[in-house]
Amino acid sequence: MENLILNETEDTPHVVLDIDNNEYAIEGRSLPEDAMSFYSPIINWLKEFKTIDASSMVFNFKLDYFNTASAKQVSKLMLTLQDISEKKDVKIKWHFFIEDTDIRASGARYMKLIKTDIELVPYYDD
Amino acid sequence: MKEKTEQSFVLELFEGMRKDNLSYIYRGDFCQSITDAILSLTEANMEKAGESSKIKKRVFTIMVEGLQNITRHQEIDEKVNTNNEKSIFFLQEIDDRYYITTGNPILKSNIKLLTEQLNTINSLDKDKLKEYYKTVLKDNIISDKGGAGLGLIEMARKSGNKLVFDFIDLSDNYSYFYLNTEIAQLNLDPNSKKSVVSSLENIKELHRILNQEEVVLIFNGLFNQDSLLNLLSIMEGQMEDSNLSLKKKVFNIMVEMLQNIVKHASRTINEKDNPGIFFINQSENKYVLNSGNYILKTEVDNLKSKIDYINSLSLDELNKFYEKSLFNFQVDTSKESGLGLIELRLKTGRKLNYNIADFNDIFSFFALKIVIDQ
Repeated sequence: MENLILNETEDTPHVVLDIDNNEYAIEGRSLPEDAMSFYSPIINWLKEFKTIDASSMVFNFKLDYFNTASAKQVSKLMLTLQDISEKKDVKIKWHFFIEDTDIRASGARYMKLIKTDIELVPYYDD
Repeated sequence: MKEKTEQSFVLELFEGMRKDNLSYIYRGDFCQSITDAILSLTEANMEKAGESSKIKKRVFTIMVEGLQNITRHQEIDEKVNTNNEKSIFFLQEIDDRYYITTGNPILKSNIKLLTEQLNTINSLDKDKLKEYYKTVLKDNIISDKGGAGLGLIEMARKSGNKLVFDFIDLSDNYSYFYLNTEIAQLNLDPNSKKSVVSSLENIKELHRILNQEEVVLIFNGLFNQDSLLNLLSIMEGQMEDSNLSLKKKVFNIMVEMLQNIVKHASRTINEKDNPGIFFINQSENKYVLNSGNYILKTEVDNLKSKIDYINSLSLDELNKFYEKSLFNFQVDTSKESGLGLIELRLKTGRKLNYNIADFNDIFSFFALKIVIDQ
């Protein structure tokens, strides 16, 4: 299975789905007009990941900002991770800037609604 | 009753600008990141409009000079730094003509020299202007602010028109300086009817209203993702000194409101018409974001009941409704997540203030006003 790496753009985040280095992350800001077509390949990649012989995954979210269109797709992504966690050891780390109450609250919301291990991780440098 | 008046201001403003193919206004402090964003916004809009490269270059040059005039010369009287002293930039395209207008405070002691320079420039024809440019360049009379009227000469040369200007009294030592330039299309019939909308007198009147309403930004143009990103950069520059939470709220709500227009607004009768208008007022630490756009009459009932339902919920219920909608994949298309309007109310903690007015048999005008405070 191939890695999926997407560079950050003005309205989409940096995406790393890297089996070789065991690194999985979405980082930056996400406000595309059509969030569905941006997140579909990521979700499909994860669905395929479920079927391969890898035992664990730590998924890092480090978003500065995301629009509602992205929020919906992140929900779908979270559900996919929840699905994977039935077969593999999955941990989600939700990073938030210490002063950013909005991003923290979004993480707490997913924590409540998703049955997968989610940890809220503050960071201190902007 | 008061609400009604405020909402009709949106429609009035929009109606006033409806004939403009493109117009935007920024009023406030100008810094590099703001002028850069204004320039890219123009570039992207002219690109999409399929403007000829010659016109693009002219508009661009005049904008650069005009914006530099503001950033170099905006002289703010620290003692009487009032709302009326904020610098302003207007770009309009009406009937195939572009109009660029700048306004900024200047020291009264500079009026005499500036008037002389402008009168000289306006007295010269195309060839003489070229000569004059060379002479000034050679004489190298560079003022301490890095000008020498070269910018003004360049503006006159590129526009092929006279520079219209005016000074308005601000205080004992300061005046407000207006400079207005018209860039005509290449093949435009010189006898074709000229719009009076953009005469400096009308712009001054509009400016008076904008000062009164404390408008920071108006955009009436192509609503697409490029414009959205440039408008965001302008506001990021404008809010540089604001706290993170307020900045993020304004950012967040701007994205939702502008994407609503991009995704849902209807185009009316004329393909050239813009689907809507967006503007921001600011007073103290309060931002008011306004959008107005056409919607099909057949969509009015649906929109109304959606908003009224959101407004009828307590914040607690609304939070639950948001969570439910977040995982409701029945509503999940590239255009619709079903979350935008809920988010607008959740983020501000206020009911959604909206108005739907009849426009014609097919369309209504939907105005939405979102107040954000600390």
